[in-house]
Amino acid sequence: MSLTKKRHCMKRSKGDIAFTIANTLILTAFVVITLYPIINTVAISFNDGLDALRGGIYLWPRMFTLQNYSTVLAKDSLLTGAKITVLRTVLATVIHLSVTALLAYVLTQKDYIFAKHISFFYVVTMYVSGGLIPTFLVYKELGLTNSFWVYVIPGAVSAFNMLVMRTYMNGLPDSLQESAQLDGAGYLTIFVRIIAPLCKPVFATVALFIAVYQWNSWFDAMLYNRMKDEYTTLQYELMKLLSSVTNQGANAQTIKNSGNQVTPTSVRAAATVLTSLPIVCLYPFLQRYFIAGLTIGGVKE
Amino acid sequence: MKRRTLSLTMALTMAASMGLSVMPAAAEEQEVKEFTAFHAVPGTEINDDNVCQDAIAALIGAKCKDTWLTGQTAEEAVGMIIASEEYPDFMTASTGHSMMMDAGAYIAIDEYWDNYPNIKNYLSESEWNKVRAEDGHIYIIPQFGIINGHDTSTVHNDEAFWIQTRVLKWAGYPDIVTLEDYFNVIEEYIEANPTMEDGTPNIGYTILCEDWRYFCLENAPFFLDGYPNDGCVIIDPETLEVIDYNTTETAKEYFAKLNEEFHKGIVDPESFTQTYDQYIAKLSTGRVLGMCDQHWDFQTGEEAIKQQGLDDCTYVPLGLVIEEGIEEHYHSASALDVSNGLGITIGCDDVEGALQFVNDLLSQEVQTLRFWGIEGVDYEVDENGLFYRTEEQRANATSTEYKVANRCDYSYFPQYEGMNLDGINAWSPDYQPTEFYESLSEDVKECLAAYGAETYVEMLNPSEENQPWFPMWSFSNNMTTETPGGMAWTNMAEVKHEYLPKVCMAEDFEAAWEEYLGVYNDRCDIEAFLGEIEEELHRRIAVASGETAE
Amino acid sequence: MAKRAKKTRQKQKITLKQIIKQKELILISIPFVIYGIIFYYVPLAGWVMAFQNYKPKYGLWESPFVGLQKFERLFSDPNFIKVIRNTLCMGIINLVLSFFFSILFAILLNEVRIRSAKKFVQTVSYLPHFLSWIIVTGIVHDVLSLENGIINQVLVALHILEKPINWFAYPKYFWWIVGFSNVWKETGWGSIIYLSAITSISPDLYEAAAMDGAGRLRKIWHITLPGIKPTIFILLLINIGNVLNAGFEVQYLLGNGLVQSVSQTIDIYVLKWGISQGDYSLGTAAGIFKSLVSIILIWLANSAAKAAGEERMF
Repeated sequence: MSLTKKRHCMKRSKGDIAFTIANTLILTAFVVITLYPIINTVAISFNDGLDALRGGIYLWPRMFTLQNYSTVLAKDSLLTGAKITVLRTVLATVIHLSVTALLAYVLTQKDYIFAKHISFFYVVTMYVSGGLIPTFLVYKELGLTNSFWVYVIPGAVSAFNMLVMRTYMNGLPDSLQESAQLDGAGYLTIFVRIIAPLCKPVFATVALFIAVYQWNSWFDAMLYNRMKDEYTTLQYELMKLLSSVTNQGANAQTIKNSGNQVTPTSVRAAATVLTSLPIVCLYPFLQRYFIAGLTIGGVKE
Repeated sequence: MKRRTLSLTMALTMAASMGLSVMPAAAEEQEVKEFTAFHAVPGTEINDDNVCQDAIAALIGAKCKDTWLTGQTAEEAVGMIIASEEYPDFMTASTGHSMMMDAGAYIAIDEYWDNYPNIKNYLSESEWNKVRAEDGHIYIIPQFGIINGHDTSTVHNDEAFWIQTRVLKWAGYPDIVTLEDYFNVIEEYIEANPTMEDGTPNIGYTILCEDWRYFCLENAPFFLDGYPNDGCVIIDPETLEVIDYNTTETAKEYFAKLNEEFHKGIVDPESFTQTYDQYIAKLSTGRVLGMCDQHWDFQTGEEAIKQQGLDDCTYVPLGLVIEEGIEEHYHSASALDVSNGLGITIGCDDVEGALQFVNDLLSQEVQTLRFWGIEGVDYEVDENGLFYRTEEQRANATSTEYKVANRCDYSYFPQYEGMNLDGINAWSPDYQPTEFYESLSEDVKECLAAYGAETYVEMLNPSEENQPWFPMWSFSNNMTTETPGGMAWTNMAEVKHEYLPKVCMAEDFEAAWEEYLGVYNDRCDIEAFLGEIEEELHRRIAVASGETAE
Repeated sequence: MAKRAKKTRQKQKITLKQIIKQKELILISIPFVIYGIIFYYVPLAGWVMAFQNYKPKYGLWESPFVGLQKFERLFSDPNFIKVIRNTLCMGIINLVLSFFFSILFAILLNEVRIRSAKKFVQTVSYLPHFLSWIIVTGIVHDVLSLENGIINQVLVALHILEKPINWFAYPKYFWWIVGFSNVWKETGWGSIIYLSAITSISPDLYEAAAMDGAGRLRKIWHITLPGIKPTIFILLLINIGNVLNAGFEVQYLLGNGLVQSVSQTIDIYVLKWGISQGDYSLGTAAGIFKSLVSIILIWLANSAAKAAGEERMF
């Protein structure tokens, strides 16, 4: 029976209307507050660097220029960086998501005798770290340094994402799996055929987390592929650029000869806009999976 | 293809004009050697097919890929390199220098240098002695402050009390000698002119206190006492006494003055909480009449002022002292920083090739390519052999896109400053006096003339010959918390960061000053700090006088 | 009808029979355990550094051992105690604020009926996540500026303040400035996870409640919140373990000399006294301390969750 129709026929109560008004106001205020820094950053990115130093730029550039962008795009290695970044983002998202999801699934098996041990084993990894140097030495022994795989293989199983997915899977009805088991299906089959399709919202969420993390990573490129230009990443190239314009003052010798027209603030703004754009564009594609009401409905039994 | 022809022509022209220096072996069809370098300081990476880099490579048969510090401290980066044993061929370790030395990660240059005269003659015997490590070997080559001929600096790049020319003009270009005079002029000006023409309120004096840049607040006392910038202490050149400048009578007087002016509203109330960006923003509007800072630190702000055409709001330096009769020493001759330099690491497979590379970079031809660029493209030469630049060439020199693709100064490799070997030109365009005068505004010219000066540098006392220990900051920069003195040094910074602003803002200055002294003496082992400085002082004096370090 | 099945794990004894029965699960698990050991546990050998005076030149195995000296160095410094206090307070403030605002935002957004508006608000809300802290703190400085910051202007106009306040000069405001900067940057991003949890709530539940005449607030209280409760709990548990990781970038960028007694966190302390002085051992010692505290905290929290019959980590 169609409850939806009925609801539309129902009269909306005063409380509902008050709620809607209050909600609209709150969210509008929220949008204004969060939109401001974004627009401000875009405005600064299109404004002359020296002019922007005076401040007073809010929503619109005062002295329009594309120089900040051309400065950001000047370096030839940016293209290599972009390729590697796209590659690592795609590859890591697919691998991390599938591997971690499988672990999450295994750990939802309520009678699995090692579930608790393995959960604990991974939970601990969120809070301990051997530090930069020991980690480096391990990666070096494994042949991961000076290689592309250092971006993909470490971190493939993440406790945080596992917990998020496990929680979601725990909310799924048991009966689905039980009936499949009666038909003689193994765990892997059940995972791929039955559980995974139901997990689209949480997969989309976790995929977004992984993709954004990968997209924004630069420290690993700097640490493990410092001398390997062919494995540089977009964000690392931008970080190099930013630190060269930002800290030039830290050394009298370097600034002596610079006399740059661009300033750290304006270049940073341009770099932010340029690098956020692609990943922000990815969002609408994932969004439909995790906004209730945009999806066809919740999990149906 | 085109590029190669160009380089070849250049190589020929240069071979023809061979100067005093040893001409690098011309690279014919041999393979270009590629070295790698890591400098633990921020810097700009250049493109792989950079024009000047290729021109230099065509000339000397070698190039080097420079990488710079990104997102780490120098110590972290150097520590990583040592731990991982993945050394580039060359390194500038910056504040990680002692770690590199500890690890024995450099090659002793003096064992090879007989074949590389440009390197060996780069410093004098006594200067090299200062660079010598405890084992008597030389591991690094200092890059900066080596002057050929005379120093052509026109701009005072270092610290001073700065004041806008409009203030001096309004006051009739008075003699300003003491801190008292300085604030009097500012007070009078601001009383007569509370706002700028467009109505923006003027700010009398602002102070930058952010992180390491708080030298703008804290180190003036030794300048006011007439001592040069040793950075961490005062050293009495007569008695060789090491004095802590943080608690002297002068320091108290200086902070009392800031406190007084703060309450009068002359000192910007945001001084102690503003960020560097906010400080530069304030300066950029042209509304700040004066401040104490190093020129390179606020240079971008000044450029912004010029861009708006507010020429009378740019700054000239003043060498203030606490009372009349003290000789000021704000401008120092460029000093050899021996605490740092370029080294060849144990990861380098071709030490001789690396040394040859450094040797060749010091030849005049390559120096010109590094700092002036390519003739006819980056600069022009007039009939007298004087280098000059067109408007377009000047614009190129400030454009990042252009520099990344075309210019290669190997800025952290050894270089000669001062004059070129031709005796006509300065080592780099920014030091070419003719280039400087072109860029000077009428307001500044008038102001300088009123004080009988032609350059910014002449606003201050001429520099004297540096003392053998100068500058002591090259020692304190490398102090670590492993020694009691180093602990004290870190603690001093911590206490000063918190209490000096409080002292300036306090309603009751005397009480705040007492509190500061109390905490300072309580938390910092000043004696240990001064002791270590004194030890280094005597070591340096001994080295300079030819005694061995042992 | 989807009733959320709570999976209470019965205590299972590890017997040979069980192992044989569950061999497929065990086989799948083995690679995960090996992976975890290699990538997360082997590097912990580096903890030995905390008991050494580590020098890169000697490496991990030959650096001189100094026993507990580094730990003593940390805990004998009265400043370090202050630093722990700062870290803990900021960690808790951040935790509370970010939970409250993220959940509130997710729920309010879920109540928006116009699809396009919903999409738009959500997209905008998560954008600040992509701004680096240096940009965000720059704007925070402008907004709170003494001279022309909008906050001061508004408060003075409303006669809440007599004259503008220099917010950054007083230690009492600092933690809250950090907390709300965090809220500003991360609320939208943090809400994504709750939004995805809300999708798993069956619409039938809302329909049924509507039939019973429940208003919006009651539906939120009785359906939405219970529906995302497991997610809330699991994130709460994870983040309780992270209270000591209050970070250093924000505090560093927003702090200044006047407030340094409340702005320094463990990470800043370590950077200042350890890494930037070449003392890796001190940093490792602090890291071990943080790890131990974290594990104790999550163990306690997890036990509490277990006793309450809520979602838990292990």
